[in-house]
Amino acid sequence: MTHPTQEELEAVALGQSGDPRAAEIEAHVAGCTDCSRELAWLRAERALLGRRPQLRTAHLWPGVAARLEHPRRRTRWAWRIAVASGVGAAAAAVLFVALRPGPLPVVQPQQNARRERSAIDPKTLAALDRAEADYRNAAKVLEGEYDRLRPRLDPELARRWDETLTRARAQLGESRAVAADDVNVRMRVLDGYAGYLRSLRDLLQESEEANP
Amino acid sequence: MCAASLPGEVLGAPDRDSDEELLSRARAGDPEAFRVIFDREAPGVRRFLGDLLRDDAGADEGTQETFVRAHRRLGTLEQTGKLQGWLFGIARMVFLEQIRRKRRESPMPEPAEDFSRTDCGPSPEAMLLSAESDRMLEGALADLDVERRSALLMRIDHGLGYGEIAAAMGWSLQKVKNEIHRARLQLRARLAGYLGEGAR
Repeated sequence: MTHPTQEELEAVALGQSGDPRAAEIEAHVAGCTDCSRELAWLRAERALLGRRPQLRTAHLWPGVAARLEHPRRRTRWAWRIAVASGVGAAAAAVLFVALRPGPLPVVQPQQNARRERSAIDPKTLAALDRAEADYRNAAKVLEGEYDRLRPRLDPELARRWDETLTRARAQLGESRAVAADDVNVRMRVLDGYAGYLRSLRDLLQESEEANP
Repeated sequence: MCAASLPGEVLGAPDRDSDEELLSRARAGDPEAFRVIFDREAPGVRRFLGDLLRDDAGADEGTQETFVRAHRRLGTLEQTGKLQGWLFGIARMVFLEQIRRKRRESPMPEPAEDFSRTDCGPSPEAMLLSAESDRMLEGALADLDVERRSALLMRIDHGLGYGEIAAAMGWSLQKVKNEIHRARLQLRARLAGYLGEGAR
């Protein structure tokens, strides 16, 4: 017979005896140096891993049961951001469709830049506006959660986060003002919002873990 | 909190309920059915996470998180026969989130690959007889890229099929095969280095 496949050899090593060719494979292996060596390796790996003791996990159940009965508060804002992100993703999808390039006449780069800036489809602008609004709404929810958790944070840490978030909000505002109707820049603003949301989410997660 | 060892523990009974039946009851809100699923599957999930994280407390926490999420998503499991792979897929996501959090605190360098010793013949007996084999194995696994390690462990420690691993990892079947092959070469190169003349 031809050499068995790697999966066939593995099935033999793992003791998965469902393969009807098992006897044939064993016979082949007995006379084939390469396959015999491979099977020896597979059995050795399996034996090394398999001889480790099983683990008791019954003591972990009460923690699971408690969380099933009383879900952590985190799920509330995690759910909200999931919804907000979903809406944002939908808006981004609309945007993607709106921005799909059609055939353009050949123009010089400078002319092209002017053309793109001046010929934005109103639907594209509307999609950008909606996406930004989605991000702003999600940010409001997360900022509200941060305000709730803030008194429990270390004052110095809270002060540093306040500064970071204020700076991020200011940068977003400035970028948005500069972007005007430039699609490419506004896409970068959306990236900025996404980064801001991620920072807020991480902050909240860490705060809740530090103060359950 | 650390999982206690139980040598030779036999999991499950011959006349146990099928996964399908248990899942059906759990989906209908029967807490006892989910408890049975936990009892059956948690040791494997805990071991998988322990091998990935090498941190008992983190693996315990990750196991709990995996089952909390699994409970929430019971309705999304389409093929009940794939329960273990599905749980490992959730455990992998939990693990990735944990290491992302850790990396923010202390970035870990990726290990370099060295397959130069994989042509050595194996000497399984030498491996099994070696008193240091457990530590050796642990070190060899630790050197693998975490994703590659996940796939290899699902295959050789937990016996998942390639298709189940592909679903759990979100990879193509070909990628699963490639990654497991590379993981094996790397693991063997490392193990062969400890086995002296017997391995060559």
